[in-house]
Amino acid sequence: MGIVTSYARALAVREGRAQPIATVRHLHLSARPMVFIPLKLAGEAAAPLGAMVGTDPADPRLLVVPQPRNRDLRFAFMAELAQIMLPYIEGFATATETVTGRNERERYLDAPQILVPGGRAIEFVRLLGRSTRFRRTDGPYPVDPSVPVLGQWLTFLYERTEFAGSSALVPVTEALALHWATGQSPLEDANLATLLAWISPPPGLTGQEAAAAAENPLDWPPAGPDTDPGFDAQVLQHAIRAYDASGSPALVRQALRTQLEPTWRLMWQAVDQLRGLPEAASVAERWAFDRDQYTREVARLADGGPPRGRRDQAGPAAIRLWDMEAAQQTYDAQRAYDDPLVMTEHRATGKAFTGEAVHVDADRRILLPGGKKPVPRPLVTVRTGDPVRLTPGKKVFSVHRRKQSAEIVEIDGDIVVVQLNDQLAKGAGVPTAGDAVCFTELDLGGRIRPGFPTGEETPWTHGGPPAAYVPTDEDAVEAWS
Amino acid sequence: MGQLVGCVTVELDDLEERITELRGEIRLAKAGGDDAKVRRLRAELRKAERAWDDALEPDFEPDDVPLLPIREQVHQALTLLGVPSATKMIVAVNEAFFAGRVTTTQLTSLRRDEEKSFRSSPYARPYYLCPALTAELLSPARGLLAISTWPMDVRIIGPLSPRTGFLTSAIRVAEHITRLTGAGGDASTEAYRLLTRMARNIPGATEGFGRADPARVISAADAELVVHLESDRRHRREAAERATARLNEVTRLFGAGLKTASRSAS
Amino acid sequence: MSTPNHRLDALRGDAAPVDHNARTIAALAGNPGCDRRAVLDAAGIHKQNTAVHLGHPAPFGQSPFALARARSFEELVKADGCAHLLRLLRDTLGLSIPEVAYTDIADVGGNAAHQLRHTHTRAELRRAAEDDERSCTLFDHPLLKLPVAGHEVYLEPAVIAFQIGGRFHIVEIKSFAIIDETADSAQVAAASRLSALYVYALKALFEAEGIDPDRVSHEVVLVCPKDFANHPTATLLDVRQQLASLRRQLSRLTGIDRILDRLPPDLSFTLDQSPAELARAIRTVEARYAPECLSSCEMAYFCRADARACGSLDALGRTTRDDLGGLESVDAVLDLVGGDLLASPEHAEILGQLRHVGAIYGEHTEAKAVAWAS
Repeated sequence: MGIVTSYARALAVREGRAQPIATVRHLHLSARPMVFIPLKLAGEAAAPLGAMVGTDPADPRLLVVPQPRNRDLRFAFMAELAQIMLPYIEGFATATETVTGRNERERYLDAPQILVPGGRAIEFVRLLGRSTRFRRTDGPYPVDPSVPVLGQWLTFLYERTEFAGSSALVPVTEALALHWATGQSPLEDANLATLLAWISPPPGLTGQEAAAAAENPLDWPPAGPDTDPGFDAQVLQHAIRAYDASGSPALVRQALRTQLEPTWRLMWQAVDQLRGLPEAASVAERWAFDRDQYTREVARLADGGPPRGRRDQAGPAAIRLWDMEAAQQTYDAQRAYDDPLVMTEHRATGKAFTGEAVHVDADRRILLPGGKKPVPRPLVTVRTGDPVRLTPGKKVFSVHRRKQSAEIVEIDGDIVVVQLNDQLAKGAGVPTAGDAVCFTELDLGGRIRPGFPTGEETPWTHGGPPAAYVPTDEDAVEAWS
Repeated sequence: MGQLVGCVTVELDDLEERITELRGEIRLAKAGGDDAKVRRLRAELRKAERAWDDALEPDFEPDDVPLLPIREQVHQALTLLGVPSATKMIVAVNEAFFAGRVTTTQLTSLRRDEEKSFRSSPYARPYYLCPALTAELLSPARGLLAISTWPMDVRIIGPLSPRTGFLTSAIRVAEHITRLTGAGGDASTEAYRLLTRMARNIPGATEGFGRADPARVISAADAELVVHLESDRRHRREAAERATARLNEVTRLFGAGLKTASRSAS
Repeated sequence: MSTPNHRLDALRGDAAPVDHNARTIAALAGNPGCDRRAVLDAAGIHKQNTAVHLGHPAPFGQSPFALARARSFEELVKADGCAHLLRLLRDTLGLSIPEVAYTDIADVGGNAAHQLRHTHTRAELRRAAEDDERSCTLFDHPLLKLPVAGHEVYLEPAVIAFQIGGRFHIVEIKSFAIIDETADSAQVAAASRLSALYVYALKALFEAEGIDPDRVSHEVVLVCPKDFANHPTATLLDVRQQLASLRRQLSRLTGIDRILDRLPPDLSFTLDQSPAELARAIRTVEARYAPECLSSCEMAYFCRADARACGSLDALGRTTRDDLGGLESVDAVLDLVGGDLLASPEHAEILGQLRHVGAIYGEHTEAKAVAWAS
């Protein structure tokens, strides 16, 4: 959010439809994504009720748990889901490329991408993963061998969502809201039906009118995982009773189909909507990182890697936190570098400015403190209309020459003088008078993670060296009621 | 009907076994990269799943007939427990030791019938199922059932009785399991599950997550019971004396609730 | 001069007043600045019926599955003489082994009348507070009472637990799961607000009885299912902050006459008026709509429609409103940018910023806008 998005929201109200806040698509969109719409039973932590899942818009698979309180039926559901998801997820582990460089490795050419309606579904994926990854295929409560494997994958996918810029598991409402500002509140944007109504209202309707119509749960059931309480009371309760009495899941199937099909259509409409935008420049790099992570997970699981523990230990938690912050910083910067419309937000707040290079002193050389020979440090004088809020000495980067760093020398009204510090290779590195330039303090990051204590070196303040998490019998037979 | 249901169940069991088998085989075949086999197995799996769906179509209902009338099943469970008990506990004990199938709803209507029957012809039956009485007001204690032939003070619930009752029930359940195993038999899984569940709420009665040991449960429950027993008894005896002095033959069994009082007055 | 209570009754007309409950009062604390909600609630107006009459029903409701689940979990926690609860209180509050005495106040000798239960609750709590010797530990189904804007509201916490020589604790039983020691923060927040209300009412009761209200702990025992099993677990919740905000809100409600004084004397919210008349009447009391109202107030859809109709930035959410520097409406923002409106001095800074935003936003979207139009 920010002033540009807020301005665009105001504009959306007046124009009667959502307004763009991006000119390019800032997420990877697979050629063959899998759409997954899970539903859960109200009042329960993680009792799956049903799901619609698949890669073909014309061929959704409907899975149901006709009596969601029955543990065996839940695991049967998970096994059935595994039958669909595992071949999809594992199916990308085929052709690889060799990544050369400091850390030479193999990487799969493509990776799975799962699309869910929104943030609540992401949370539900986490809980499904948590409730199945410790299960065992032998012992007192055996489950189908596919169930713990799916649990591990769902956990992996969920954890990717904690890193900004990952496209492995995508909440579609958030993906849309990243590119369009509607004339409703962010809270209401979490409703896939109204969000799409604002983005592409049917002919003859304003976004407001279309969104109001889309709020009717009878026409547009909630996208889940929570179901409409009215549906629960009037339809589902009866259908589950019918199952209890007859053993036939037909009514439950029919009921859940009515709740899932509209969302299924919206999900693919959202995919089309996002496909209409050209991919941003840095998306491929971020997706490569997703592919790296996928490659590692495939190898880890093939080696019989244990399920992730219930809680993070201090050491890995600190590393994760550092990585998450680094990912966020890089992601924020990349989006701005890739997209002039995203950059406007930073220009408005004075963290970036664009303008025309009105004067370039390309041959300037200065003597650095302690240096013996003057080194080239060109000066670029920029005229800008932006309210620059950077101070002299501030390190900035050139958007057009991404690796080049520079610093602010002087600001006087609409004139900013910038000194270029590196990447000065003849010609290409220095703009000429009349060029359009853009400088920003946003840092693309990409630094090496500092050394964190290893597990054995965990300081006592953080609980000392942790014991490795070994899933216990208790984990394996934990009730799921 | 029973015959038909039996057939369907057998058929379903077979199908389910087959389905599980096929799923395992598919995973194996996939791991081995045998695509042709995977396709063939998938087709078979779909067929089995369809057959399973079809087999489920006919209505079926549990056909077991209870061995004893409901009130006698309840009597049996209460006698084992030895203290006024909640319907849930009665149902659980009945299931664990007598393979009975009483539902809580059946118990609610049962209680009303008992009072009606007693009012129309008092003491016509050898025993009645009646509510426990609160020590303070001698009114029916919510949700707790007792047997009319128990001494008055056993049927009274004082402030400590919910806890002593629970501890006593745990001991009685453990003792019954010991009796069964001592006689060369064994108690059901449900019986051990019930005992373990109760033991988890008694300090020192369980170790780890395994099944509870009856002897350990008995000694742990005893240890806590000693703390409460004396003052609980005092309370109940004192209330029992009041009940004997003040209540009539109906209210002595079914309680001196305001409702009962007004009804007997009319 | 009529008293506030007469005025409030007049607003409601012949309809029976809607009882406040813990949930409605806790919701009041969610939007303390809304006069409309304060007046409607104080007058006991049936907001759901009102919203329906106005043509803006709110799709509220709880799933029967959620209700059944909540009920069965509470039963489980209290089953077997509160066996689970005692285990948890021994762990969290350090109850000693002898502290097990239990009193059920769901009815008094079969009579479940509120006034009777409340009197009994008072008597029991007083006895416990004054006499450590024979005191009780668990009070099940206690009934507290709180005056809210001139009306008595009965509140029923799950359990009150009392430690000998120590303090009284509210025990709240909720059926949302605590998984790997974390729970849904929205659910915990709602439980904290609700528990704070019970703590508040219990302190008020103590004060009225001349007992030190500090003997009521601001730490509430929250009992929830652990992980995916049905096994109850407990944590202590500190509700001081919720208590402070509640106190403020309730004092505002007591000061409702100040709002009433500003309203026309013949104002009425009865449903025998036409929807248009009723809407006009309702609009004389100012609302403070925010999108968060959609999940907590039956009037929200009516208020939202009004907010949208006048292009209020409130309808777009707090962040948007703050970003746009305190301007009131969509028109104000866009007309300032377009130069059709002169800025007042306090808006000079946001004006400069918005004009710049308008200009640079236009640079990057005009091409697209043209493409869309064609």
